[in-house]
Amino acid sequence: MVKYVGKLTVGEVLSWILLILILLFTVTPILFMATASFMDKTQILDMPYRWIPSSSYFKGEGRTFFTNFRKAIMGNNEDPVFLRNILNSLIVAITCAATTVLLASLCGYGLAKYRFRGRQFVFMAIMSTMMIPFEAIMIPLYMVASSMKMINTYQGMIIPFLVSAFGVFQMRQYLITFPTEYLDASRVDGLGEFAIYWKIVLPNCTPVIATLGILSFRNQWDNLLWPLLVAQSEKMKTIPQYITKFSEEKQTDEGAMMACAFLASIPMLLLFFALSKYFLGGAAVYESRKG
Amino acid sequence: MKKAIVILLALMMLAPMAFANAQAEEAKPVTIEFWTHEDANRQRLEERYIKEFCETHPNVTINVTRQAATKMIELVQTAFAAGQGPTVFNLSINDEYPYIVAGRVAPINYAAAGYKDAQAVIDAYAPGMLESVTYEGDVYGLPLELTNWCLFINKNVFRSAGLDPETDYPKTWEEVVEVSQKLVLRDGDILTRRGFDFRYPYYLESMVPMVEQLGGQLFSEDGKEAIVGKDAWVKFFEFMQNWGPNGLNLGSPTYKNARSLFNANNNDIAMAMTGLYQEARIKNDNPDFYNSGDWMVVPFPTFENAVNDTAACYYGHYYMVNGDVDEATQKVAWEFISYMLSHGEEYLKEVNIIQPTVALMNSETYKNTPYSAVFSQDFERGHIVYYGANSTEIQSLLKETVAAVMLEGLEPEKAYNQLKAAVQELVDEVN
Amino acid sequence: MKEILQVKSNRTKAYSIERKQAKWGLLFTVPCLVFFSIFSFYPIINAFITSLTNKQALSRTSKFVGFDNYAYLFAQNDTANGGFTLWNSLRATLTFTIGTFIPMVVISLLVAVLLMSLRKDRQRGFLQVAYYLPAVLSSVVATAIWMIMFDPRGLVNQLSNVVMMTTGKDYKWLVDTNMLQASTMLVYFWKYIGYFVILFITGLAAIPPTIYEAATVDGSSRWHTFWRITLPLLKPTVVLVSIMAMLQCLKTFSTQYMFTQGGASRKPIDVITMNIYFTGIRNGRLGRASAMSIILFLVMLLFTYLQFSTSKTDDVEY
Repeated sequence: MVKYVGKLTVGEVLSWILLILILLFTVTPILFMATASFMDKTQILDMPYRWIPSSSYFKGEGRTFFTNFRKAIMGNNEDPVFLRNILNSLIVAITCAATTVLLASLCGYGLAKYRFRGRQFVFMAIMSTMMIPFEAIMIPLYMVASSMKMINTYQGMIIPFLVSAFGVFQMRQYLITFPTEYLDASRVDGLGEFAIYWKIVLPNCTPVIATLGILSFRNQWDNLLWPLLVAQSEKMKTIPQYITKFSEEKQTDEGAMMACAFLASIPMLLLFFALSKYFLGGAAVYESRKG
Repeated sequence: MKKAIVILLALMMLAPMAFANAQAEEAKPVTIEFWTHEDANRQRLEERYIKEFCETHPNVTINVTRQAATKMIELVQTAFAAGQGPTVFNLSINDEYPYIVAGRVAPINYAAAGYKDAQAVIDAYAPGMLESVTYEGDVYGLPLELTNWCLFINKNVFRSAGLDPETDYPKTWEEVVEVSQKLVLRDGDILTRRGFDFRYPYYLESMVPMVEQLGGQLFSEDGKEAIVGKDAWVKFFEFMQNWGPNGLNLGSPTYKNARSLFNANNNDIAMAMTGLYQEARIKNDNPDFYNSGDWMVVPFPTFENAVNDTAACYYGHYYMVNGDVDEATQKVAWEFISYMLSHGEEYLKEVNIIQPTVALMNSETYKNTPYSAVFSQDFERGHIVYYGANSTEIQSLLKETVAAVMLEGLEPEKAYNQLKAAVQELVDEVN
Repeated sequence: MKEILQVKSNRTKAYSIERKQAKWGLLFTVPCLVFFSIFSFYPIINAFITSLTNKQALSRTSKFVGFDNYAYLFAQNDTANGGFTLWNSLRATLTFTIGTFIPMVVISLLVAVLLMSLRKDRQRGFLQVAYYLPAVLSSVVATAIWMIMFDPRGLVNQLSNVVMMTTGKDYKWLVDTNMLQASTMLVYFWKYIGYFVILFITGLAAIPPTIYEAATVDGSSRWHTFWRITLPLLKPTVVLVSIMAMLQCLKTFSTQYMFTQGGASRKPIDVITMNIYFTGIRNGRLGRASAMSIILFLVMLLFTYLQFSTSKTDDVEY
């Protein structure tokens, strides 16, 4: 019944076509950003678009290969606050990712494996917070933050995002399928309840920790509305705020903006590649189980 | 000099009081949260002023927050809503006026700012310049900049289209269309060079005057009726629809801001509408173009059969002080503002920002700024931008209505009815 | 199957022990409960109270108006408030959600299954990483890139001309009402596809391979295996992913916001969150904006409830 084209089945050929189309779709804009970051603003809109910036692009008045990158880092006033802003974004995003994983897994474990009274209510209450649009609670939240003296501090950017309802949900969904007999066996071995969570449960959910960690990291790395309010001084601003500077109506410079975007994506890319083995690890678990 | 004497006098009068409290005053630290919009040229100057001010006032800490101008409107408002507004801030007058009406900002501390009383401040500025911040006898703000817009022209682009910029520049809106049709370059339907394009986010400043030229009004004289003069408004909407991508395809709000392209002299825009400060920006971004003399400034156009001769509205950014902070901080805040504003000439020379004091408007520096006469004449022809308790909201309604007409193909008459109903609702709410 | 039965019998035995340990479960949820009380429940209750007043951002006082704000929002006709009505926002939000979340879930599931069936780990790893790349960029960057690409001179329009075999046509990606809505969906899809693929792969990886072996022995076709075995077992993941995708779509904000900041017409893409933002944060009508937030909250609650009750995965826990 199976038809072959060369060594591949028809199904495989079709699936490869789909996979490659999606590959082109996801990667093209990123390649665009990377190449555009070397060009000046008129060349970016050349028709047809030139994927390889020709050398003549760098010969214009005082332009060099790195003009855009220099501008991205030094801004309009020769102040390399960019690096500090990247550091801020990293501090906030890493802390939030770590606390989200810890708190969400603890809570998710409690909800998945213990049958206490009001469990369903607690779960539903936490779930319902997922439905709160951030724009709705921005102003009350700002009042909370300022009454806690958290304006212009890392605490102010981190504490309101220590854990996410989605994280709890994801952890719970994952841990529901966690084999209960392991837990019971550990209890027989004399492990305390918290020790079971810490030594048995947590080490056994690396794939979901990686996905949740990356998601929380990304959410904070991406967060613009909240830092706009709480991070007011130049030194406390985060990367999305820095980039919006380049799109400000008065001084749009697409080349520098793309360079800035490109540079700002590097830490995230590095982190992603470093962690990607956990995703692939998740798949490897599948491979090994498949035998 | 005069100002220095006034300050000295004020200090002498305050001396006995200050003496008694000297110890306490000196020791008490004051923190000023200063929020202003992003502007690289201005920032350089202000950083220096802040440093200088802090050196002479060791107990004062000034925290500066700079954000994009459009973001600033929202941030200041949110902060005030949460009761945490900045100590000193500036916005465009139409976004700022609601703060005065709502009683959220403090009147000038005249002594601290170096004036005898409200009248002394008003007299120090060109006639009418402080009208918009004067409320129930008190003055609530001092202008950081006062701006109106004229037409900047790139002569190179005119010449390349076979036009003579000196004689062929447009005087009427009909000519703007006509000249633009000659100036545009297209690749199929796609515009690669525009003749002129509007300043889209700023409708109260640049488009309401167009309606007024045609005999329409934003509000009736008694302020009770909104969007007055159906024919004028419909005609204006038709003009905009014709301009947009579904009409003659000469420009669109979705394209890159005309004014930010202008400095580069890259053969992609021939005319842009902007203020005197643009000159400093051309000089900064592209000194060769600035010195080449290949650009010029002409007055704001009128319609051929205009009933009123009105130029673009001028608007001001005024420094204001949060009314929630304590008296002592307010005092320091006004001292700080007054110190920054004592550098009017430098502001004008370095960044071409006009702080409309009588002294500055009559100074050689102003007269020697290229095309300042064109701007002055348009000041005479124009009036201040509309400001009221709801001006921010009216601005967005105008923006969205014009966008709907140009992009979604909303019929001008429907647009008129819709806009009128919406603005009328706002007015009725207040009355 | 055997495994599952065994687990079930264990459960009954363990039940009494679990009781004693129950308080630990509650204890484990306490940190999160405290957190959500301060940073979610308190603000939303605050928003609800505000929604019953006529509070404005700059006014120091406000008046209790009961449900007037809600009545006002529901009574708006098409052209009220310049066309930026609650109804228009509901329409925009639902169009966006349906147009984004269904293709997203379907395609990411399909891609995940296809990726899992690839013969080489390397290929799978590479594709997974490549699909995820857009999610690495922040929304500000993503929208900046797409705004340039959607320019009539930009890449997207160039490509449209190639695909449609036209020259110099302006497809009006940011201008035409329908194209504009499609553009926002496209950007969103691009940004999140990789993440959903990875969520599905995590779910697929958790399915015990013994089940597949049994199926292979039975001689079922791949298609059959997918429908009869993979999909039912993947149900918790599908529910998770689709709820998440739906809620995210209902809450979408930054793409639409930045498009309008870039000059695009607001009405076609005036999703509820954006309406809340403009009403509350820009125009300072906090009472009315809060009422809209509460409505959005209820809409999301309803949708989630519907999705839960139609899927009922929680009953097949072990």
